[in-house]
Amino acid sequence: MEFWKDPNECVTAVVRLFEDCGKDPELREGLRKVNQLILFDYTESGPDCSIWVDCRNGNYKVSQGKPSEEPDLTMSLSADDAHRSWSNKLNPVMAITRKKIRVKGSAVGLLKLAPKLKKVAVIYEKSLTDLGWADKIMK
Amino acid sequence: MKYPNITFESLFGWVNRPRILYSPGIRSEVGFEMSQLGGKKAVIYTDKGLVAAGIAEMVAEEVRKSDLELVGIFDSIVQDARIDIINAGAAFYRKCGADCMIVVGGGSVMDTAKAINIMIGGGNEDFQPLADQAGLCDGAKPLPPHIAFPTTAGTGCEVTSAMVVLDTNAHAKLQVTHPYCNADLAMLDPELTVKLPAKITAFTGMDALTHAIEGITSTGAEPIADALGLHAIRLIFKYLPIAVKNPEDITARGHMLIASSLAGMCFGNTMTGGVHATAHALGALYGIPHGLANAIMLPIVMDYNVKDAAERYTMIADAMGIDVTGKKPVEAAKMAVKAVVSLKNKIGLTETLQDFKVPKDREKLMPLVELASADGQVSYNPHYLEDEDILNLYMKAI
Repeated sequence: MEFWKDPNECVTAVVRLFEDCGKDPELREGLRKVNQLILFDYTESGPDCSIWVDCRNGNYKVSQGKPSEEPDLTMSLSADDAHRSWSNKLNPVMAITRKKIRVKGSAVGLLKLAPKLKKVAVIYEKSLTDLGWADKIMK
Repeated sequence: MKYPNITFESLFGWVNRPRILYSPGIRSEVGFEMSQLGGKKAVIYTDKGLVAAGIAEMVAEEVRKSDLELVGIFDSIVQDARIDIINAGAAFYRKCGADCMIVVGGGSVMDTAKAINIMIGGGNEDFQPLADQAGLCDGAKPLPPHIAFPTTAGTGCEVTSAMVVLDTNAHAKLQVTHPYCNADLAMLDPELTVKLPAKITAFTGMDALTHAIEGITSTGAEPIADALGLHAIRLIFKYLPIAVKNPEDITARGHMLIASSLAGMCFGNTMTGGVHATAHALGALYGIPHGLANAIMLPIVMDYNVKDAAERYTMIADAMGIDVTGKKPVEAAKMAVKAVVSLKNKIGLTETLQDFKVPKDREKLMPLVELASADGQVSYNPHYLEDEDILNLYMKAI
């Protein structure tokens, strides 16, 4: 992997990102409207490399691993492409057409938040810095 | 003008499908061309307006003269590619025992047919779950043979690998991508467009212009697309007023069809921006035809963007025929905006959103703003558009 020492680093960073995004009122409201159980499947980079976000029915829970229920949406990509994506350096539409991101389920709700990736990237940079990983920030 | 200092993303992709054949009367070759693609039993997809005008019959007649078997004509397609009609169109294809499709129509017809072909290729009964996935690229395979005759100039749908479908339940337009959904062969026959009424000629021409302009100023812009988009602008500025005023001018009609395909190839690779994001929402909530919505929003969004893409708008102004010698980029960019307004007046497009009962009320505009801000195209706008920016754009357009 280009950006991560091991899959656990990626999981830690993305869980932290979603925890921090949950504190932003605009993003929290956007995710509330998505109203799905979403699995970010990075297991092509390691067997336990995945995180899930449950934003159904006004709830908001983030955890590593796989959820106990079938997710409404699964986005599968590598841990490195996940880092590029959250850094707003990998256009999600292009990534889907290049099959770097594979989608299973309804992506319509989540893709509505794609215009907010610029804001998410700012939060991601702070999350990485807080974790002591400012060297991973993509310029 | 000398090529300015223009940047573009250091990684870009370019796709060039389909084959294109151009000639007045090229429809006479449809049987031969479909046989080369392996098709034997064709369904024609079109709409009732084109049937009534005799346009669909111009192509059907050529199919009947050939060795192809015409097994059905589906003319139920209406404005926008509606999911319920897509499903009905796929059922019709199967009922007729077809193995290929010939598409005669504008954007709604072509996008509907693309979606139908995806369902036929994938053995699907309902397009809704496919639309929800947005990107149908993983595991995508070539689809059954598909020839398109665009009858407007236009949406460029004959060349783009995406379609915009209308979810009538959610009142939302969904953008769906499939690498093989565009036609295997686009047959550009200007004789099929001479009966297009002046108003529709005007706003479909503005749709093509918007594709070219937004394709060049998109954050995904790159030099291959620029070349195609800029030439599309040259052709549109010269031939659109002629096509509107002299509908039977085959030279003008032909150049407009070519320009539409060029613009389609441009934005099909680079995406668009704020005009399309705002126009999609207007279409979904107020039923404004796509080309007309684009025409209304284009100069307003351009004006908003000038400082963020001044060099690109300078290239556009040059392609419009404006002398930009010695002009600073922002000044030249503003001249491009004025030229668009002038073109609109010349071709009789003077509508504002008020004419479509869009209320000039910040609160009542919020559903539009919400839809536009979530549109897949908005993040390609050169000026990053916050919700307040989008609201201001709509207010200016009323």
